[in-house]
Amino acid sequence: MAAHAIRTRWLGFLFLAAMLVVLAVLPWAINNYWLRIATGALMWAGLACSWNMLGGYAGYINFGHSAFFGLGAYSSALLMNDPFGLPFLATIPAGMAVTALCAVAIGGPTLRLRGAYFAIATWAFAEVLIQFATVMDFTGGTGGIGLPPFLNERFFYFAMLVAAVLTYLVTWALFERSRFGLKVKALRDHEPAAEAMGINTALVKLQAFVLSAVAASVFGSIFAYWVTFINPKSVFGGDITDQMVVMVLLGGLGSLWGPAIGGVALFVVNRLIWMNWGDTAFYIAILGAAIVLVVLFLPNGIAGLFARRGGNGALAKAAEKLVRGGER
Amino acid sequence: MDLFLQTLLNGLLIGGVIATFTIAFQLTFGVLHVIDFAVGGWVVLGGYLGYYMASGLGLDGFLAIPVAFVLFGAIGYLLGPVLYNVRNSRTARPELMALALTFGLFTLLRGGMLTAWGFNTRSVATALSGESLTLGPVTVPLIRVAAALFAAAIACSLFLFLYRTRYGLAIRATAENRNNAALMGVNIRRLSANVYGLYAGITAMAGVLMGAIYSVNPEVGLRYTLFAFFVAVLAGLGSVGGAVVAALLLGVIEAYVSTYVGSSYSLLAIFATLFLVLLISPRGILRRGL
Amino acid sequence: MSVAMSSAAAAPAQADSILVVRGLHKHFGGIKAANGVDLEVRRHEIAGLIGPNGSGKSTLFSLVSGTVPPDSGEIRFDGREIAGMSAHRIARLGLARTFQIPALFENMSVRENLLAAAAEGHWAGARERAEETLALLSLEHVADNRASDLSGGQQKLLEFGRAVMRQASLILLDEVTAGVHPNIRRIILDAIVRLRDKGVSFLIIEHDMEMVRNVCDRIIVMDSGRVVTSGAFEDIVRDSQVMQTYLGRPQ
Repeated sequence: MAAHAIRTRWLGFLFLAAMLVVLAVLPWAINNYWLRIATGALMWAGLACSWNMLGGYAGYINFGHSAFFGLGAYSSALLMNDPFGLPFLATIPAGMAVTALCAVAIGGPTLRLRGAYFAIATWAFAEVLIQFATVMDFTGGTGGIGLPPFLNERFFYFAMLVAAVLTYLVTWALFERSRFGLKVKALRDHEPAAEAMGINTALVKLQAFVLSAVAASVFGSIFAYWVTFINPKSVFGGDITDQMVVMVLLGGLGSLWGPAIGGVALFVVNRLIWMNWGDTAFYIAILGAAIVLVVLFLPNGIAGLFARRGGNGALAKAAEKLVRGGER
Repeated sequence: MDLFLQTLLNGLLIGGVIATFTIAFQLTFGVLHVIDFAVGGWVVLGGYLGYYMASGLGLDGFLAIPVAFVLFGAIGYLLGPVLYNVRNSRTARPELMALALTFGLFTLLRGGMLTAWGFNTRSVATALSGESLTLGPVTVPLIRVAAALFAAAIACSLFLFLYRTRYGLAIRATAENRNNAALMGVNIRRLSANVYGLYAGITAMAGVLMGAIYSVNPEVGLRYTLFAFFVAVLAGLGSVGGAVVAALLLGVIEAYVSTYVGSSYSLLAIFATLFLVLLISPRGILRRGL
Repeated sequence: MSVAMSSAAAAPAQADSILVVRGLHKHFGGIKAANGVDLEVRRHEIAGLIGPNGSGKSTLFSLVSGTVPPDSGEIRFDGREIAGMSAHRIARLGLARTFQIPALFENMSVRENLLAAAAEGHWAGARERAEETLALLSLEHVADNRASDLSGGQQKLLEFGRAVMRQASLILLDEVTAGVHPNIRRIILDAIVRLRDKGVSFLIIEHDMEMVRNVCDRIIVMDSGRVVTSGAFEDIVRDSQVMQTYLGRPQ
């Protein structure tokens, strides 16, 4: 059994290493069109993971996660333009700082309440930001704001790759492999019991929330520089949050790889629809239907099909039976 | 001064219409323990029903009110048990899943309506459209007065039903304490179906009225979901008594911001108020029991 | 927390009570769940808390552990006033509790439940202690199962195991053996006595008189939100009026 576990772990590492090598050489293997799609897939896999930090591990649904993506995007856009003219890399930590402050301001009071209030508060916050960015002059209003163009697809591919890999590494280290993760999951499952174990649930929730917000902000910064032009709808829009929610639910709430699977899968579907039918409202209906179907029929997501314990693990159980049968 | 009074009256009239579906929204939360993101979707669907009955069949828009109640009441009655099952399932995190379900439903309705009807704005034609009523120094559109009267009638019937019938008592008992109600022999599952049906029906009726006063397009659903949340937060989730006051207040705030600051700021003002209330007094400032 | 542990072991003479409750009040609407509770738990003692249903035993646990704030009164734990303190701070001072209805982390594995209990505080060696606790409670074979998949008795065991993992100086156990198979009950009782001998104090709510007689050093009787009497098991039993009135069982 132990030998088997070690072999599985080695296979896992080998697979990951192979994946990374493929991802690292990919820009030289495909044309710019597909490179843009790969860049987008990396971004969505990372964003879904950032949403999952709070939604999946701590059990608090954030319906305004696009706010933090947008804060990162607008921070970079404003700071790279006059009168600041900062270099791109310097705007990323600035965006993270702004985002962290906002997350503390919203999360502090509302994370103490039941999840419904938190869902409403985050949703309202994102909408306030859309309205705010729309009516203000310094954000360019509805028209939006441009960034100094930098047309190097490979740069953006690697920027997204580094950000995504870091996001997953941090999630793995903090939520799967540390005391912090135990505390977060404990409070998700039973808050009074977690308190009775000495866990400061209000603080731990806030930490998870800030972490998730800051991660989203990094992708926002890179996205803004990449597309060189942003407006309130394109970075604060509710559709962005909708997509993250569907990706995580589809992939598997609270699992490490679920958001990556769901994120890449849904983004590819999105692009296929876009290629065939253009920008269509039909996609919104598909998103909605996907959420409904996943909640009703696949509550543990795609990752739940493979989970050895927890979840329904239907495939895992079937596989286990096969293996055991073979041993006998 | 006249403008001030007129704005106040306008706001109260709209607030009255908002009150009808937010009361039902609160009731649904009390019984099902789910906040329904799809609330705005039901409003918009009601508006479209009114539009198609008025423009397609040439009937008066107000005739759509009973039809909306029956049609969406039936749809809600069918959806209620689904929501109840998810909310009370044995899977991990049912509260979160139920929230996600209504969010998905809302997105589905919005996307479906956009696909079917596009972004065009429609309004419900009634015999009263374009008429206005002068009361001393103030003049208000007659349609708003009529809508507010309809709304008041709906709200009064709902309150009579809740406080004067045995079934209303069962609903209130369930909203107060689900376990005790179950012990007293209330079939919570069936009650949930009925309450969700009642709520969807009332919300669609309010949608017809809103469609007659303003107009509808698939994107305004968000606005009505916001209204419901605003009232829920100000009144405290599940509180029906505070909902009426909060809805009237919402109507008045919206009217004044639109008149004196500009209508593009009204949503910002409402969201900002909602957000501030959540930060300052998160359990609601008008909290009152059923 | 280590301070609490060492003072518990080093200075028993200075104050021989680890928990002192004085004049504790808590009203829920018109119900007086705690109506002037006075009691103490001595160091290295297993104190049994008995009384009819609704006498305020579980409420007392919630008040002492900080899950519910008291209206008034004093709670001194290890010489420190803790009334009104938040639950996690009280827990960090070295007080652990179980819940009457098992409050497990349902989506986590059995092992993770134990580790989560140690996540705040004595983390050094927590993994080894988790394995020891699994062995102690005979839960090794289900260590990787989801907590919600456990049987009722195993859930009680895990609930107890988490309290053990806290390395607390005082453990409050709320009917930890109710509805549990006799074999499992034996395991829990042995563990309680062993921990007591190591210097841990216990306050346990228990309905089973056999168990009360076997493990408790002293009995505290509650009724209607107050402590009625306390003393050795034999003395309480001899007071047949107490037995009749509060336990509904003559002799």
